[in-house]
Amino acid sequence: MPDTPILQVENLSKFFPVQRGLFRRTVGHVKAVNDVTFTVNKGECVGLVGESGCGKTTVARCLLRLVEPDQGRILLHSEQQTFDIASASRKEMLDVRRQMQIIFQDPFSSLDPRWRVTDVIAEPLIAQKIGRAEASRRVLEILPTVGLGAHFADRFPHELSGGERQRVSIARALVVSPPLVVADEPVSALDVSVRSQIINLLLDLQSQMNLTYVFIAHDLSIVKHISHRIAVMYLGRLVELGTTQQVFEECKHPYTKALLASVLIPDPTHREQSYVLEGEVPSPLNPPSGCHFSTRCPFAQEQCSAEEPDLRDMGNGHLVRCHFAEDLDLSEGVFALPLATSSASA
Amino acid sequence: MPDSQPILEVLDLHVHFKMLAGVVRAVDGVNFTVERGRCLGIVGESGCGKSVTARSILRLLHSSQTSGQILYHPNGDDEPIDLVNLDPRGDAIRAIRGKDIAMIFQEPMTSLTPVYTIGEQIMESIRQHQNLSEEEAQELAISMLNKVGIPDAERRFADYPHQMSGGMRQRVMIAIALCCEPRVLIADEPTTALDVTIQAQILRLIRSLQQDLDMSVIMITHDLSVIAQLADFVVVMYLGQMAEKAPVVELFQNPKHPYTQALLRSIVRPDTPPREQLHTISGSVPDPRNAPSGCRFRNRCPSVHDRCLEDPPVVEFGPQHTATCWLYVDD
Ligand SMILES: Nc1ncnc2c1ncn2[C@@H]1O[C@H](COP(=O)(O)OP(=O)(O)O)[C@@H](O)[C@H]1O
Ligand SMILES: Nc1ncnc2c1ncn2[C@@H]1O[C@H](COP(=O)(O)OP(=O)(O)O)[C@@H](O)[C@H]1O
Ligand SMILES: [Mg+2]
Ligand SMILES: [Mg+2]
Repeated sequence: MPDTPILQVENLSKFFPVQRGLFRRTVGHVKAVNDVTFTVNKGECVGLVGESGCGKTTVARCLLRLVEPDQGRILLHSEQQTFDIASASRKEMLDVRRQMQIIFQDPFSSLDPRWRVTDVIAEPLIAQKIGRAEASRRVLEILPTVGLGAHFADRFPHELSGGERQRVSIARALVVSPPLVVADEPVSALDVSVRSQIINLLLDLQSQMNLTYVFIAHDLSIVKHISHRIAVMYLGRLVELGTTQQVFEECKHPYTKALLASVLIPDPTHREQSYVLEGEVPSPLNPPSGCHFSTRCPFAQEQCSAEEPDLRDMGNGHLVRCHFAEDLDLSEGVFALPLATSSASA
Repeated sequence: MPDSQPILEVLDLHVHFKMLAGVVRAVDGVNFTVERGRCLGIVGESGCGKSVTARSILRLLHSSQTSGQILYHPNGDDEPIDLVNLDPRGDAIRAIRGKDIAMIFQEPMTSLTPVYTIGEQIMESIRQHQNLSEEEAQELAISMLNKVGIPDAERRFADYPHQMSGGMRQRVMIAIALCCEPRVLIADEPTTALDVTIQAQILRLIRSLQQDLDMSVIMITHDLSVIAQLADFVVVMYLGQMAEKAPVVELFQNPKHPYTQALLRSIVRPDTPPREQLHTISGSVPDPRNAPSGCRFRNRCPSVHDRCLEDPPVVEFGPQHTATCWLYVDD
C-alpha cells in the first residue's frame, strides 16, 4: 500500500486552564496534549495508547474540533481539497464531518434517552441538511451493514444490549460514508464475548469500505490486533511511534516496555512473566522536569530530569523520545519485578 | 501441599429477586468451596450473578430470597456457621463482616465515605472489631496504608477520598479491608476500572498479602487473564448458573463446557494473527428474566442439541473438574 497521507497532525497542543478560588483565577495549565505530531495514511489503522489522562481523548476531540486546539495544524486531505481543521470555519467543519466521524465509548450517555435508534443514527445526516425521508432511507440501509435488523430502527437505547448500542454508534459514524473514523475506546465497556464481535465488525467494515481508522483503547492486546501503526502517549507527549512490530516487538522507550509488561498473560502456567511498573502517573498540572517519565523510569540518569529528550527517528520511521534509546536493552525481563512469586500448581 | 481445608463452602445457593416484571433468578444453584490460603476465581460476563453471589455471602442483600447453605468454618474442627441462617441486620453477621470476611469493590467510593478522611475511616474499621488504644489503632492504620503501597501514609491520613487517584482509593479500600486480618477477602472486580499498570500493582499486592496473612481470596472478574494470573481454582458462571468448575491450569488446558471453550478462544493472545477475524460467541447475554429454559447457554451454543431444552447434568471430568452440559452424556 503506497503511503498517501489522509490526516496530518502537526505540533498539536491543547492546554486546559486550571482555575481555583472565588474569582476563578487561573493557577496553571494541564498540558493535555503537548506538541503532538503524527500522520495517518489512507487505509491504515493507527492505534493510540497510554494510561488514562495521557491525552488520548483530547487528541480525538481536537481532530473533530469538539475542543479548540491551542496550537498546531490538523490537515485533512479529501479528494477535492485539503482542510486545516484547526482553523476551519463552521461551514468548512460541516464538510470535514463528511470526511471524518467519531465513535465514542458510549454515545448514548450524551444523547436524549427519548431518541429512537433511527434518530440517533440520522443525526449526522440531519446536520448535513439532508431531508428526513432521505435520512430514514439511509438509516435503514446502514443497519444491516452493522449487523442489526431493520426492526432496531424504532427501539430506544435502553432496550439495547451493550453490543447493540455500540453497533448503533458505528452506524451513526458511518452513515455519512466518511473515509476516516476516529474510535475512542469503542469496545472498553463491552463483555468479552461481544468485544470480539465488534472488533471483527470494525475490521470487516475497514476492508469493505476502504476506511482509515484512528483507534484509541487501553487494551493493548486489542490495539495490537487491529493497528498497523501505534502511537504511545505519556502526560500529553508522544513518546514512541512506529509500526505495530516496532512498538510491540522492538520497543525502545522504557515506558512502552513497562506498559507492555503490565499486560496480563492469559496463561496460568506463565505467571512469572508479568512485570510491574512502580508508582503512578504524576500530576499533569506539574509534570516532572526533563523527561516526564524520568520519575518512574528504572534507567533514569541525571540528564533525564534536566533535559527533555526530542522525539528522534531510530530508523525506518520508528520515533522514540528517550535520551538513551539506542543504548537500552529492553529485551526480556530486564527491569521489573515479577507479579507473582508462586506459579500455579495444578 | 498440606491437606486442603475448606474455610467457606457454598452449597446449592439460590438468590432470587421478585420484581414487578417477574422473578430474577440471579443465582440459581451455585456450589463451590474456598480453601484456606487459596484463591478461588469466579469468572463470567456481566449479569451472570458474580456480585450477587459475593454479596449474599456477607448477607448484604436485603430484598432477596436466599436459599442453600453458606458454611463458614472459622476453625478447622468446630461446627461451621451457616451464614444463610444469620439475620442480615443482626450482630452475628456484623461480627463476621469486616473482621473474618472482608470485601472490596470495583468502585472504591461504594465503601468509602466522601465526608471523612481516609484516616478516620480506617480507624473506624479498626475500632469496630479490635480492642486497641487510640495510639495503637493509629499505628496499625498507618502501617496498613504503608503496606498497601501508599507513599507518605502519615500525611495522606488527613486526605479525603476525592483528593486521591482511583488507584490510591483502591489501595485505601484494601487497607481498610485488611486491617483486621480477615480470613477471607472477597474482591469484586477490584481492577476493572484501573489502568493496566495499576492493575498489575494491585493484583501483585493482593497476592503478596494473601501469602503474608495466609488469607483466602475470592477473586471476581470478567477477565480470564486476571483468573490465569491469580486463581488456584475457577468457577465459570453464566446467567446465574455454574457452567464449569476446575483447577486453573486444568480449566485453561482442558475446558469442557462450550461456553468456557468459546470464552477462552475469544481472548486476544500475544500470538493471535493480527487483523484476522477473532473467535466470537454469537448473540449476547439475554436478560435473566428471559433466560432460556433447560441449558441457559443453549441459544448461543455452537453444540446445541434437542436435549439442551432440559436441565443439563453435572458431569465429572476429574476429582475437582465438573461441567454442566449434555455434550458428554450418551443417549
Ligand atoms: N475539558 C477539560 N477541562 C480540563 N481538563 C481536562 C478537560 N478534558 C481533559 N482534561 C485533562 O486533560 C488530561 C488528558 O485527558 P484525556 O484526553 O481525557 O486523557 P485520556 O483520554 O488519555 O484518558 C487529563 O489530565 C484531564 O484531566
Ligand atoms: N437488588 C437487585 N434487585 C433485582 N435484581 C438484581 C439485584 N441485584 C442484581 N440483580 C440482577 O441479578 C443479576 C446478576 O447481577 P450481578 O450479580 O450484579 O451480575 P455480575 O455478574 O455482573 O456481577 C442481574 O441480572 C442483575 O440485574
Ligand atoms: Mg479517554
Ligand atoms: Mg458485578
